[in-house]
Amino acid sequence: MSENNDLTQIETSELLVIIHEDLYDGLADEVVQSVNELLRRGMSPYETLTQGLVAGMDVVGVDFRDGILFVPEVLMAAKAMKAGMAVLRPLLAETGAPSIGTMVIGTVKGDIHDIGKNLVTMMMEGAGFKVHDIGINNDADKFIAAIREHKPEVLGMSALLTTTMPYMKTVIQALEREGLRKEVIVLVGGAPVNAPFAEAVGADAYCRDASVAVTTAKARLEERRNAVPV
Amino acid sequence: MSRNLEGRARRAGRAAAQQPLEKQRIRYELPVYDMLSPESVERLHHASMRILSEFGIAFYDAESRDILKSHGARVDGDIVFFDPEMVTACVAKAPSVFTQLARNPENNIPVGGNAVNFAPVYGPPYVLDADQGRREAKLEDFINFVKLAYLSPYMHHSGGTVVEPADEPVETRHLDMVYSHIKYSDKPFMGSVTSAENAADTVRMAEILFGAEAIRENPAVISLINVSSPRRFDDRMLGAMKVYARARQGMVITPFILSGAMAPVSIAGTLAQQNAEALAGIAFAQMIEPGTPVVYGSFLTNIDLQSGAPVFGSPESQMGLYASAQLARHYGLPFRGGGMFTSSKIPDAQAAYESVMVMLPAIMARTNFVLHAAGWLENGLASGYEKFVLDCEILGMLHTWSKGLDLSDEALAMQSIAEVAPGGHHLGTEHTMRHFRTAFYRAEMFDYNSAEVWTEAGSEDSFARANKRVKKLLASYEAPALDEARDEALRDFMARRKAESPKAS
Repeated sequence: MSENNDLTQIETSELLVIIHEDLYDGLADEVVQSVNELLRRGMSPYETLTQGLVAGMDVVGVDFRDGILFVPEVLMAAKAMKAGMAVLRPLLAETGAPSIGTMVIGTVKGDIHDIGKNLVTMMMEGAGFKVHDIGINNDADKFIAAIREHKPEVLGMSALLTTTMPYMKTVIQALEREGLRKEVIVLVGGAPVNAPFAEAVGADAYCRDASVAVTTAKARLEERRNAVPV
Repeated sequence: MSRNLEGRARRAGRAAAQQPLEKQRIRYELPVYDMLSPESVERLHHASMRILSEFGIAFYDAESRDILKSHGARVDGDIVFFDPEMVTACVAKAPSVFTQLARNPENNIPVGGNAVNFAPVYGPPYVLDADQGRREAKLEDFINFVKLAYLSPYMHHSGGTVVEPADEPVETRHLDMVYSHIKYSDKPFMGSVTSAENAADTVRMAEILFGAEAIRENPAVISLINVSSPRRFDDRMLGAMKVYARARQGMVITPFILSGAMAPVSIAGTLAQQNAEALAGIAFAQMIEPGTPVVYGSFLTNIDLQSGAPVFGSPESQMGLYASAQLARHYGLPFRGGGMFTSSKIPDAQAAYESVMVMLPAIMARTNFVLHAAGWLENGLASGYEKFVLDCEILGMLHTWSKGLDLSDEALAMQSIAEVAPGGHHLGTEHTMRHFRTAFYRAEMFDYNSAEVWTEAGSEDSFARANKRVKKLLASYEAPALDEARDEALRDFMARRKAESPKAS
């Protein structure tokens, strides 16, 4: 930001609004500066995350839903969010703050169509999730290895071809066989996928687009956290 | 400015981008589709000349026949026979491009060349909408369609008889129609042709609005002179023609032809006849007032020979449209043709298919004046509210399409391609960020949602969406300011003419 760079002179409440505005405009460097300033003032990493970044992305989500923002703008906002998260993530771990969530995502075996999967990845990161994208054409073993390594709460699988869709069931059966099925919330998506299919293959939910993936993941995680006493 | 205020300003700017689109012009920058070879054009020309010189055209008005006779035509009863050289010499006096005035000068339109202008449906006695169905049109409907045309960024003209307002007396409704165009829109409009007297009223009102001298330099009205095919000009049209030509006002000379009934069952024969009729009218206008602005008009389709009903969007009518436009270009005249024609009673699949099957040839033939470009239903018997806004959506797409392909360095986007690795995506490149808002035409009337979202939103079809759009548009309408002194002069004139009307009580 060219002028008035002295963030130290701005009220904290005002600074939070500035983060929201800069996220909205997809200004990654500015978001990082403001995050650092809030931390310098002693705001906890968790409060910075929720009151700054998450609250800001909520506005982005609403304006996207209402047709004010276009997809490229949402992606820029998500990138700015990701930059802010890069600052906060190690601090959140240190302070033992509750994480928003971790996800493993990939397209299933036989399918290399990944634009939709990439959009979901960016939107999930934009919402503060740690996303491990294992790319395209994954067989069940690769999904299982990634789950063992990253211990995600959410698994996302996508397919564009009707011929590869059934492989989602193969992955879910493998998860059951390995005793991992209850560890993850399984979300499925892709153009030909629908809710009855998700139910038939034993997934937890079908997400019709990237923003629904975010709201579904958040809602299912909250349900699970409330249901399972730690 | 603080960072915060700057952010807010940017956000306000985005919201402003959601405002209605600016009105747009079409200049057709693509190759014109010439369907006929030069030899074929000549063959049609000679056939037309034979019709004019051997078979003749009926003019049902003695003064008109005298004018034609004084210019060398041979007259036998009502029938006028034209010497081919005399016809082509007269036609050559007509301008190939002219400007029609609008009361907002920004809305003046060029007629001819590669300019394309869209005007609303003309003539229906009925209106149709989803709420009240089909009913007799009233002046209120007339005003509503004027407002809808005014609000569309893709409509260049306010049109003429957008509906026939049955609640106004026949003797004076032309005054209300012309006044409504002037009052509720600032786009150019069409004049009354129902009699010489009504045409004179139109000219007088245009003089009040623009000044008598201004409208002699550039026409303030363009009026629809129909040839009552086959080979016949009636006294009302000739009366209006004489008034408009003497006032140097614009005219669209249009043979109204349904092949099989008013012309042969072949398109070639129909074209030869149409061409003879249009040229006869255009030559006549030039005899009255050399250089008076005219448009070569075509309303050409065929009947269904099994039932006798008119058919729109037929392959034969499309060929007729291309060939008619080519003939007009051959004579160096602006061309009128096409429209969102359909026989369907409602804005359904038939209406959409038939309309587009006429509009695409109309555009590719580079039609300069497209009457009936929005709102037409039921063979022209009904003006459809929803059909109007749906048609305007297609007109918007045609605006984009007519510009042709941008092949600049910026459009080739090599940097964007270099930036994205194989299998990546272009949604976040700098090039995308520069252009995403205006990169692609976004139709408001068409649904791009997933089946789930569409179902949750009430499973609306385009008819239902258009119904909402009509209501939103009419609720948002604000009249363009009209000079009070001129408005008062116009209202005084109307009041006087209404008092003079034989039906006035």
